[in-house]
Amino acid sequence: MLSLLGGIFLGWSLGANDASNVFGSAVAARMVKFWTAAILASAFVLLGALLEGQAGIETLKGLTPLNLEQAVVSSVAAAVTVTIMTIFSLPVSTSQAVVGAILGIGLLNQNINTPGLGKVVACWMGTPVGGMIISIMIYRVLAFFYNRLNINLFQADNLLRLSLIGAGSYGAYALGANNVANVTAVFVGAGELTLFLAVLLGGLSIDLGILTFSRRVMETVGRRLVRLDPFSALVVLLAEAITVHIYTIIGVPVSTSQAVIGAVLGVGIVKGIRTVEKRTLLNILFGWFLTPTIAALIALSIYFAIQLRYVPTG
Amino acid sequence: MPRLFFKKQHQVEALIYEYLEYLETSRKHFAEAINACLETGVCEDFDFRTRLTHKFESKADDVREKIKELMYGKALLPESRGDIMGLLEAMDIVPRVFELILQMIKTQKLIIPDLIASDIKELLDVSFENCELMIKQVKTLFGRAKGIRALVSTIDFNESRCDHIERGIITKIFDSDLDPFQKLQLKEMVVNMGEISDQTDRISKRVNIISMKRHV
Repeated sequence: MLSLLGGIFLGWSLGANDASNVFGSAVAARMVKFWTAAILASAFVLLGALLEGQAGIETLKGLTPLNLEQAVVSSVAAAVTVTIMTIFSLPVSTSQAVVGAILGIGLLNQNINTPGLGKVVACWMGTPVGGMIISIMIYRVLAFFYNRLNINLFQADNLLRLSLIGAGSYGAYALGANNVANVTAVFVGAGELTLFLAVLLGGLSIDLGILTFSRRVMETVGRRLVRLDPFSALVVLLAEAITVHIYTIIGVPVSTSQAVIGAVLGVGIVKGIRTVEKRTLLNILFGWFLTPTIAALIALSIYFAIQLRYVPTG
Repeated sequence: MPRLFFKKQHQVEALIYEYLEYLETSRKHFAEAINACLETGVCEDFDFRTRLTHKFESKADDVREKIKELMYGKALLPESRGDIMGLLEAMDIVPRVFELILQMIKTQKLIIPDLIASDIKELLDVSFENCELMIKQVKTLFGRAKGIRALVSTIDFNESRCDHIERGIITKIFDSDLDPFQKLQLKEMVVNMGEISDQTDRISKRVNIISMKRHV
């Protein structure tokens, strides 16, 4: 159990941070009470993890063979990377930190599944782009029907509210299905957990983060999205959820934050306004290289550190 | 949409219609008060109608406060909350102008001279038409939102007409040989009467923007 602590911490921090991507705007705008959002998010994260979490685990455990010690090191390294980058307010993706840490150990073992890695990296790059394309399509389709609905202001309001809750729940499902691999995949690779136990434990640790520490993140980070009108916020949420779900089916854990940024960019394109600053896009590019590199270096450092033995001389 | 889930929204909706009723009642009493004033000057009936105008303006105010409380109780999406509160605050100016005019007539013992009486009646008739259209437009906004733009044009046209009548009345006042002090008093009253249609025009444009904003 002790060996799983790094993974559980990673799951906890993932839940605490990424729940804001699905329910942040609704909670920050007081459209949904925090506890309603937290309970819905927890339930759907667990459901997503249990029903569709296996594919991502297969991909990550296939990147390089790990023994239990290496699995623990890579999991702790990813957790440390996420913590350090969060403390320094640097853009961070748990998925990229986990893959970076696994790669660090893979380099040491001189055994990296290059095609598998290529697939993962391609999906990272495709995440914001996918978010953008899907949000443009969703905006156009939904707007076509929404503008033709014969409903009054109050009914439109209620419809948007219910849709935001529905889309948030779907987003939580996609988050659980996609990101559970980040939490426990390395332990499946090391033979420490079965697939079912991995998705269950991963889902529960993400839930722990949502239920214990996501409130402040939802209320502060969520405000960034509140600047969008409710319809655009709904489009962003749906686009993010669909994008992440697509990558879940492909079997690659991706960054929900980057899917959100892509979706916000897409809404901006449709409306002809600038919704995302250049700096945010540069941060994504920066994160693609920086996060895995730092995680790999930390994993290598930890691994070397635990190999050091005191050898008395003379 | 299931009523059970959106109790507060339904309460807000019902209160808005109640607010509009009080606004309309306040306008009717104001019209009666002015008619009494035109026919007999400040009299008992005028005082009675003034009190009723105030009573319904107060009731409308209370309803507005209730709506505000519900809004702060997280009913509706933030954007809709802002739109509705802004609209109610803008509408609230209209009954306040009614009261202001009646209080001017009462406290300053204003007598509307015959030479402008018919023009005043015309100015107020057009302004009242605008009030009715404005209420209809707000109801349309909270109904199926069709036909708002057509009402904007009519209200805008009426507002221009009121401006024209107002200028004519002020010219007549200053061309007359009334006491200069009385001229200034009457001018102030006429300007306030003109404010009714100006405000309905502002509200109408606001309603149009709210309606357009809902188009995505």
